[in-house]
Amino acid sequence: MFRHNTLRYTALVLLAAGALFQAFTAEYFGLEILTEILILAMLVLALDIVAGFGGMVSLCHGALMGVGAYAYAVLSTKAGIALPVAMAGSIALTGAAAWVIGAIGSRSHGIYFIMATLAFGQLAYSYVFEAPLFGGDDGLGGISRLDLSLIGVDLNNSRSFALFCLATLGAVYGASVLILRSGLGRSLTGVMHNEQRMRALGLTVWRVKADVFGLSGMIAGLAGALAAQHIMYISPGLLSWTVSGEALVVVILGGLGTLVGPVIGAAAFVVLKHELSSVTTYWHLVVGVILIAVVMSRANGIFGWIEARWGGVFDRRLADATRKQEPEEVLTDA
Amino acid sequence: MAHDLGFWTLQALNALQLSMLLFLLSIGLTVIFGLMHFVNLAHGSLYALGAYFAASLAAVGGYWMGFFLAPVAVAGVGILLYSGLIKRMRKSGPMAQVLVTFGLIFVLLDLTRIFWGDLALAIDVPTLLGGRLTFLGVEYPTYRLFIIVLGLAIFGALAFVLSRTQIGAMIRAGVDNDAMAACLGINVERLFFIVFCLGCALAGLAGAVAAPLLSVTPDMGLQILIPTLIVIVIGGLGSLKGAIAGSLIYGFVQTFGAVLAPQLASVLIYALLAAVLVIKPEGLFPAKG
Amino acid sequence: MLETRNLDKSFGAVHVTRDVSLKLERGERRVILGPNGAGKTTLFNQLVGELTPDSGSVHLAGEDVTALPVAKRARRGLSRSYQKNTLFDGLTVEENLGLAAAVHTGNATQLWSDSLAKPEVREIVEEVASQVNLMPFIHAKVSEISYGVRRQLEVGVALATRPLVLLMDEPTSGVGPEMSKGFHDLLAGLPRDLTMLIIEHDMDLAFDVANTITVLNYGEVVFDGLPEEARGSSLLKEIYLGSWEDA
Repeated sequence: MFRHNTLRYTALVLLAAGALFQAFTAEYFGLEILTEILILAMLVLALDIVAGFGGMVSLCHGALMGVGAYAYAVLSTKAGIALPVAMAGSIALTGAAAWVIGAIGSRSHGIYFIMATLAFGQLAYSYVFEAPLFGGDDGLGGISRLDLSLIGVDLNNSRSFALFCLATLGAVYGASVLILRSGLGRSLTGVMHNEQRMRALGLTVWRVKADVFGLSGMIAGLAGALAAQHIMYISPGLLSWTVSGEALVVVILGGLGTLVGPVIGAAAFVVLKHELSSVTTYWHLVVGVILIAVVMSRANGIFGWIEARWGGVFDRRLADATRKQEPEEVLTDA
Repeated sequence: MAHDLGFWTLQALNALQLSMLLFLLSIGLTVIFGLMHFVNLAHGSLYALGAYFAASLAAVGGYWMGFFLAPVAVAGVGILLYSGLIKRMRKSGPMAQVLVTFGLIFVLLDLTRIFWGDLALAIDVPTLLGGRLTFLGVEYPTYRLFIIVLGLAIFGALAFVLSRTQIGAMIRAGVDNDAMAACLGINVERLFFIVFCLGCALAGLAGAVAAPLLSVTPDMGLQILIPTLIVIVIGGLGSLKGAIAGSLIYGFVQTFGAVLAPQLASVLIYALLAAVLVIKPEGLFPAKG
Repeated sequence: MLETRNLDKSFGAVHVTRDVSLKLERGERRVILGPNGAGKTTLFNQLVGELTPDSGSVHLAGEDVTALPVAKRARRGLSRSYQKNTLFDGLTVEENLGLAAAVHTGNATQLWSDSLAKPEVREIVEEVASQVNLMPFIHAKVSEISYGVRRQLEVGVALATRPLVLLMDEPTSGVGPEMSKGFHDLLAGLPRDLTMLIIEHDMDLAFDVANTITVLNYGEVVFDGLPEEARGSSLLKEIYLGSWEDA
């Protein structure tokens, strides 16, 4: 069950402060990186909801984000629909697609679920690649950002757009917490711990899985619509399964099932990628080694490790919990 | 349609050739999964390594040196992976395995780039298998026929080993219930090791035979991975029957889809996969009931 | 309240349930006895819908539920506990009970409110926790409580759906004799209108709770009657007690 604790609040405040500082002081390149982090953070929050609290490890969240991006682009540039409506439409459409995937995948578990989501992601990828409506390999350009001139904000300014994404991420985080604390979110966690028992108690398990997967898809769709507005150009590569794989990597790197962790993971991943790719073209090698090391270390990512190590300084309850869990291991981690 | 019988024979042969290549890859992956419940996303990378080894060896000692030694070299890499990583990941959940082998894809991808560079390598068809043969009334490249024959031969050999030999019986027992197999005195750990190495060698062999057909590039492993996964999910994880059925389904749907419905070709196979997952989530011929 | 008519089930050549007809009245407390492999748990699985019978039917509160899936039967008031603990291991006792109560009160699929904070859910959680003596452990995680307490929680979770019929599969399985006795007193103290069907291995303990007894042997009902009759029955001694003592 999701719970905030002092460490999590502290991390959130620090993250928000860091993002705000970056948003007000950084120049163009720094703002681009910040925006990239913020959008990736939304995607990985969506993924953490289903994978970390529902055991539904999805390899199609990158594709869902791509569906949101393409839906926004097509609705706004080709169908000429008003931008806010196009945005709402892209979120709804992605949510509906995710709901269907969740419903069909609800019968599969473990590796079968991973494979099923991979298949659906690839289905979307090949369709976008083939269909002339989506511009094929060339992608789609000329995508506009939302017009917020009514409240005196020009989103074509990188700083304003970064702040807009930060505000949206805040809202997404809040929504994620509400989802996890709702009856639906509680039941989903129950299903992750013991699906058979939840069913025996009278829960229609597939509906709960599909509903939460749909909600998670809406967040991924939102991230996609913002990504399309950020780069103003999209290509099928956005839906490639490696994007979904990277999203999963970010969740694991940050700390599965902690919400705060994946946000930290997003920041670490984007910064690492930019720093490394400026030094070497072989940055995938370094990321791969780090990923293997993190998974093999059995720590729950960066934030999981921090919670195990320093959570006790902030919370008695956490301190007790850590002490009960193999104290030797906590010591040798240092 | 205005196509004659020869055209369809040609397409059928193309489909069969693609199926056999996929079979060489998927059989290793599926039996490793069936036996060890281990999902190796880096299986495609081993195929790419096989192609690179074959290209380098062919440059030194001709095609056949690559053909015979590349699988051995890839099995060697498999031994390193098994003792370094995979043995320790056996008891982890599917997500951890997917992630570690996903990381491995990144590592192997960049290692091939470091050793062999970003440019595509080419390797010639051996003189023995050059040219074309007339077969069922159509002229078909001898080398592609060789791949079909090789795939069928390996299928036959594996079917024989699995059904008629003692090690085959041990593997079937292990797939069925590894704890029980261990109780029966089978050295399950050694069995895992042998099967893993054999799976790696077959992936290397697939890379070596594919090398003259395609250009050898660092991302060829990523490109083949998804079709291979589709094959084993459609066929059902863990079974020889599933691997051959899935390979044939993929090969024929892909090849004939491209001819009959070019717009839908790439979507078709995923739609089929989705349909299989809805109707039979465990695939058409799962190893266990 | 709960009735089966001519229930039959085979796995290949093994006939696990043979023509089983049972009828439980409202408030009845029936214990099913039988040696290992008599088909008790298989019968339970057919009652709740985890297994489909080959023929025959299951009726709950006068309605044929044979075709209904597990969750729908549960929502109509059929609840079960398992012989092997089937709990939400990473969660607290309170959350375990709360998840069950949330399903019963219709809060389990709500998006706009926290099911575990709802007054009606909290009320059930507290009531059930005191019924099965879980109050002292209410905030402990399942991993932090002893095996015996987990057995209590196993029944508690089933009770928290406020069932009409409660099926318990060896509720005292694996706990010591002294604790078993306490457990049976606890079951005896549950509301009188709750219909209970209990699988039990230990005959003496069964007599503490039961007002009717069914004995299964090789999937077949071989005795159906009052506890006093069961005690005196020579047939029963032969097939059940006999095999029990020999073993």
